[in-house]
Amino acid sequence: MAETKEKSLSDEKPKPRVRPIVRLGIFLISHSFHVSVVCCTAGVLALFLLPVLAKNTYISENALMPGSASPMLSNQHVSDGNRLVKDLTNPNSKSSETGIESHKIIAQYMLDLGAEVSFHKFHPQMNQFHPLHFFSSPDSGKIQENYSCSSYGINTVGIIRAPHGDGKEAIVLVTPYNALKSGFGEALSLGIAYSVFSLLTQVTWLAKDIIWLVADSQYGEYAAVAAWLREYQTPKFSSLSTPNAEMCPDVNNLFELKGHSISGSKFSNSFRRAGTMASALVLKVRDQNEQFEDTISIYAEASNGQMPNLDLINVVNYLAVHRQGLRVNVEKLWSLLNSSWLKSLGEIFESLAKVAKSLYPKWKFGIPATEYVEGTATLASSLYYQALGVPTGPHGAFRDYQVDAITLEISPKFSLDKVWRNDILLRGGRLIEGVIRSVNNLLEKFHQSFFLYLLTSPSKFVSVGVYMIAFAFLIAPLPMVAASLYVDANSSSNCSKGDSSTPSAITDTDEHSIAIRSWRWLNSAKLVFIVHLWGAIVSLLPYFISQIPDCSPTTSFMIWVLLSILSLLTLNSVLASPLACAKATQEKEWALVKSVTISSVFIGLGLMSVINFATAEIGALLMVPMCLLAQPLKLDVRAGTLRSFCRMICNLVLGHIAFPPAALFLLKGMLDGFGNANVGDFWMWVESLWAWNSATYLFIGMVQLPCWVLCISILFHTC
Amino acid sequence: METFINPKSLFHLLLLPCLLLYSSIAYNSSPVEAAMHTNNWAVLVCTSRFWFNYRHMANTLSLYRTVKRLGIPDERIILMLADDMACNTRNKYPAQVFNNENHRLNLYGDNVEVDYRGYEVTVENFLRVLTGRHETAVPRSKRLLSDEGSHILLYMTGHGGDEFLKFQDSEELQSHDLADAVKQMKEKHRFKELLIMVDTCQAATLFNQLQSPGVLAIGSSMKGENSYSHHLDSDVGVSVVDRFTYYTLAFFERLNIYDNASLSSLFSSYNPSLLMSTTYYRKDLYKRRLEEVPVTNFFGSVMETIHTDAAYKALSRRNSGRFEDEMSLDQSVHHIKRRMLIKVNDGDEIHDINPEGEEGASKCPWSTFRNKFQKAENVDSLLNYGLVAMIPLLVISTWLVQ
Repeated sequence: MAETKEKSLSDEKPKPRVRPIVRLGIFLISHSFHVSVVCCTAGVLALFLLPVLAKNTYISENALMPGSASPMLSNQHVSDGNRLVKDLTNPNSKSSETGIESHKIIAQYMLDLGAEVSFHKFHPQMNQFHPLHFFSSPDSGKIQENYSCSSYGINTVGIIRAPHGDGKEAIVLVTPYNALKSGFGEALSLGIAYSVFSLLTQVTWLAKDIIWLVADSQYGEYAAVAAWLREYQTPKFSSLSTPNAEMCPDVNNLFELKGHSISGSKFSNSFRRAGTMASALVLKVRDQNEQFEDTISIYAEASNGQMPNLDLINVVNYLAVHRQGLRVNVEKLWSLLNSSWLKSLGEIFESLAKVAKSLYPKWKFGIPATEYVEGTATLASSLYYQALGVPTGPHGAFRDYQVDAITLEISPKFSLDKVWRNDILLRGGRLIEGVIRSVNNLLEKFHQSFFLYLLTSPSKFVSVGVYMIAFAFLIAPLPMVAASLYVDANSSSNCSKGDSSTPSAITDTDEHSIAIRSWRWLNSAKLVFIVHLWGAIVSLLPYFISQIPDCSPTTSFMIWVLLSILSLLTLNSVLASPLACAKATQEKEWALVKSVTISSVFIGLGLMSVINFATAEIGALLMVPMCLLAQPLKLDVRAGTLRSFCRMICNLVLGHIAFPPAALFLLKGMLDGFGNANVGDFWMWVESLWAWNSATYLFIGMVQLPCWVLCISILFHTC
Repeated sequence: METFINPKSLFHLLLLPCLLLYSSIAYNSSPVEAAMHTNNWAVLVCTSRFWFNYRHMANTLSLYRTVKRLGIPDERIILMLADDMACNTRNKYPAQVFNNENHRLNLYGDNVEVDYRGYEVTVENFLRVLTGRHETAVPRSKRLLSDEGSHILLYMTGHGGDEFLKFQDSEELQSHDLADAVKQMKEKHRFKELLIMVDTCQAATLFNQLQSPGVLAIGSSMKGENSYSHHLDSDVGVSVVDRFTYYTLAFFERLNIYDNASLSSLFSSYNPSLLMSTTYYRKDLYKRRLEEVPVTNFFGSVMETIHTDAAYKALSRRNSGRFEDEMSLDQSVHHIKRRMLIKVNDGDEIHDINPEGEEGASKCPWSTFRNKFQKAENVDSLLNYGLVAMIPLLVISTWLVQ
């Protein structure tokens, strides 16, 4: 070390030593085209490899011990549950118009078991666009007004206190129930929950309280659960709700009647609470089913692609498959199952794996082609629902309070004889009992297993460490290309300037021009900034449009488009015009714009990948090729080679696909067929996104749309 | 007279009693060989918390029950339980602990004295118990008041790894710590023989650093092996006992207090295919042949018998003890019964005397001499030596007077 130092000191003119990392950077930037091609291909390939790389799930938390205790749910409990089902499906109970009768029946049943019972009355909250409420926790202090007595829902809540427990934790069991038009499935789900509930009132091993919430789903399942949770987690100390309740005689009637009929019991008018929620299960039974065997579907996605801890899914899957013999499935994109290209891709992977195995027997990564297709379909749906950022069931409301929750939907093979009904009550009940007993064993929150994962089957998952690779490959070329474009734009203009100007002219203007040139990118940055500002305005517009009464989705959408274009033109004329004119003649300006666009897209995608990975991944699939390929059409037309022609075609296609409404249209078409798609759909879709506070909405408005506009402007750049 | 008693011979004369005295002390100061097996202690430790570690507490309680049944009284058992499974809210049978799914035996019955419970079970407290360095406020019932004649059984169970044992999900006891504690115990004459029995994963690694003589160690598994639970109680919903402990208990269930099964028969009773791990025992520090050591020397409270003709002439016990040593272990039931009777008395006597002697033991050499003198065993010989030493003193004093 010392020697080399001395050497370098002794040298008159030391060679400028470039550190390896700098040299590598320079190399990558100078070969950015090849690097980006390689990286993008690798990214897409890695995405398609994910089903192959998926690992089997395992129960990570020691304390859970699912299935170690034998189920205690007996036929006695099942017949209890059956009794409730009969009472609820009895036509007499449905006579009441508000469905209060059936709530009374449920409450009476709960009271008979010795549970604490209370009613929770809530007003359904309309989903509204609150631009400032993204990422914020649901607000308890909303002023409720204009509620008529007719529009309220009643949740029936039963609580079992753990006999030896400290009452600090609770497990929640939710059964959505619409008293007005309940199908047999809903009654059956209540029957299952009741049979479990009746068992749990007798057992001694409870360490956590059990809350059974019969959520009134006449205003939607989610709304009822969310309203109850809001009340539970953020208690209101104002007397807002009490006068409301008093104003409505019907509700009063319900409460008083209860109080009188069973005096001294555990019924209470006030809101009852138990401890912190350890986890929640939403139980549903589907009415119709075309399956040939009893299956159970797991829905786990909550808002913004948040998932419950993988252990919860593992426990349910383990108990359902290995203890109760139920088939478990998670959502799939059914349209992908029959696609032939996916099948052939799976076959290629399979044969590759075979070759690899023959070369080296320890390489065992291949999966059968059919399994690959199924895995990909599941993975795609997992990505899609996470990217959408809209919860797939009432369990989403729990995730907002960091409670792990999933929805279990049992779809039995339907027949109406009693034996079958008892069987599904028994198995469903034992499954719920097992899950509750397992969660009951927990000592802390779910924390051992993954929160960031994609499922490829109920028992296989891709963890964050693996799926990030695909994304990283996709966005890796962005900064390199941006840098190389910047360097190119600067050096080429340098050369051209040097050629054109006479040596005498250089002397005095040189420094000045260099200084100006080096700051030239600020113009492009300003343009990009303006477009992003416009994106923010566009994302805010729906709030005002939604205030217009009696507007059909189609007209709303049209208004939105018109206003957006208008605002873009205004912004452009107000902010960008004076300088844009001056610089319009500049050569290679589009390259600088592209460079800055790419940088902003890189930042946007990077940020989004932290908030919602799936959105970022899908966004990257659309935007990265578009950004990288964008080049003025004029140049391509002028060049006239096959390569430029291809590029032109690609640019035009991508320019269409990446436009958010077009992308949605295509997606919808692929999923449901193109027949029933119309213009208003996008408005409805957007409405649902902001109603659920989905960050995807922000991403589309503030990253993807500006990027698309900038790319289009590059395409039509006049140079 | 002056020619007869020259200075040199005088020096020799003076040296004689000193030598005599020294030799007698030297004889006493090797207590390993010298001290009799006089009492039995057991330290039973369950180191892990949490409901899903139910089996560790069941292991420890089962062993507690066994050693108690085989004769170690409660005041000589230090029971450390890191968690309270019996009163865990998840326990289907409140206040009961079972080690078998047949639920016939409640281990957490009436007479269970837990000395260290819950968060008291720490590495620090464990080492304090072993080394005897307690704070003054710690009651005698929580101390290991063993002496140089004690046989100690140290049983530990929990989650272990390569050269460590996890305490309470937050601390570790390393093999160095254990070896150091044992060494301190040896130096403080806190045991005559020590049997360390460990039921954890990679239990054998915990013994790697042991150096002290008189230590015998047995572990449930070798390095790189796991120790497995024996069976699941599907009623309680947890595994209730570990394999190694289960088969240990199965061995002891066949025994009663009078049986003479040797340690080697215990050690050979483990079947690796049933255990699903290989038991490991380390006996290089242990002098006696395992075939000749009855298990009740550690797991019970059975000691050698000293047969005396007269009620109060128990002074030349060492010789009789040696005699017993040479006798075969397969003695008549009658004889063992008799020695049991004697044992109870002996144990109590010695136990009361010793702690006092020990307190001053390390202060100065003179006090050790005094202690040696105080030992009741050698009063006879010391008296004789003393008388011999008096003769030169007498000679000198008469010579000085002249």
